Amino acid sequence: MKSTEISVNSATCYKNNNLIFSDVSISYNDGDIGIIMGPNGCGKTTLIRSICGIQALDEGQILLDKIDIKNHNNNYMDKIIYIGHKNSLNNDFSVYENLEYLSAFDSSSKINKINEAMKYFDIYKYRNYMVSEISEGNKKKVSLARLLISQKKVWILDEPLSYLDDTAVNIFTNLVLNHQKKGGITIASTHYDFSKNINNVKYLNMDPGR
Amino acid sequence: MINMLVKKELALYFRNLNNIFLPLVFFFLIISIFPLVLGPEKNLFDKIIPGIIWITAILTTILTSNNFFKDDFNNGIIEIYLTSDMSVELVLFLKIISCWFFTCFPILIFIPLVSLLFSIPFQNSMVILLTLFIGTPVLISIGIFGSALTLGLAKNNILTPVIIIPFYIPVLIFSASAIEAVSTGLPFEMQIYILAALLILVLPIMPYLLKYTLGLSINN
Repeated sequence: MKSTEISVNSATCYKNNNLIFSDVSISYNDGDIGIIMGPNGCGKTTLIRSICGIQALDEGQILLDKIDIKNHNNNYMDKIIYIGHKNSLNNDFSVYENLEYLSAFDSSSKINKINEAMKYFDIYKYRNYMVSEISEGNKKKVSLARLLISQKKVWILDEPLSYLDDTAVNIFTNLVLNHQKKGGITIASTHYDFSKNINNVKYLNMDPGR
Repeated sequence: MINMLVKKELALYFRNLNNIFLPLVFFFLIISIFPLVLGPEKNLFDKIIPGIIWITAILTTILTSNNFFKDDFNNGIIEIYLTSDMSVELVLFLKIISCWFFTCFPILIFIPLVSLLFSIPFQNSMVILLTLFIGTPVLISIGIFGSALTLGLAKNNILTPVIIIPFYIPVLIFSASAIEAVSTGLPFEMQIYILAALLILVLPIMPYLLKYTLGLSINN
């Protein structure tokens, strides 16, 4: 597989004339796990969203394979799956229908893996429940199950661990490790360091007082 | 993929039947208010009923499209649209079409009944129906565009109609003119063609415009 590199190049971002973060630079290669840490309001979500191209940086660039994402054609998201801190689930659909619907937005996804993905996160028993009927932790698991349905190489996750219990955090950590072995890249913002015993972790501390 | 998206879109409306019936009920309530306020004077109503039907249709489209993207925004599905590597324009197009089909089309079906209630001549009622049939998809598209534009803003309930109603004016002018023409026995085809041209202009560019607008307003 062709190697992939994502780099953030002296990124700076303002919101309503307040500096959120300045001069953030980091680069991720195949097999990297990137962990973005920092207190609330330090711009973790903003950085993650600008890596996905949803939000524009005020200064600096995001480079995918050494090309600025603004100059990429529409295929920029070919390699990247983004899971935000909102779960992106529709309350009027069942768990299964939601995963089916969301995989329509991902060209690499394999519909026949949905059941497998639900079993992996131990939510198969809720497959026919409406999303409004299940708990927040289970909603998070449903949105993380997209990682197993999608075949993309770069995972960009915003607060993937919120609402998850210890078992689910372990399941998630194993998933990330497997992804690393396959050469995938994971970039996640989190408060809880799930990767204490993992190699190739790149920490980015966004504490404004650093 | 298209099959699946259509199926999901249908499921969304059929699970919330309110979304289909309430616009219809609203339409009939507003229509029936006018005789109560103005009195049942036949000559007056012969003159103003096409206008009343159109104004009511406008109010209905404004209400149905006002918070169109609100749920998707709160659930974070807009982010899925924007980070997708598939053709999101197709999804947005389907959403416009299904919004029109489930909120405006039921009203169109009941236009003959309304015509009967207000004893509108058959030919006039057919022209009203035709202008609504061509005009309401344009109104819905513009309304949905307005709701995308004001998405990130708090308390946008009145702001959206204020932005979009000026854009309704071309559709209104030509619809009113067509109805005026047919009731005075003049040819009305030209106005219908212009309405159709507006529809052909607005509908294909709207999904692209929506995707761009959603990208802007998600950062508000």
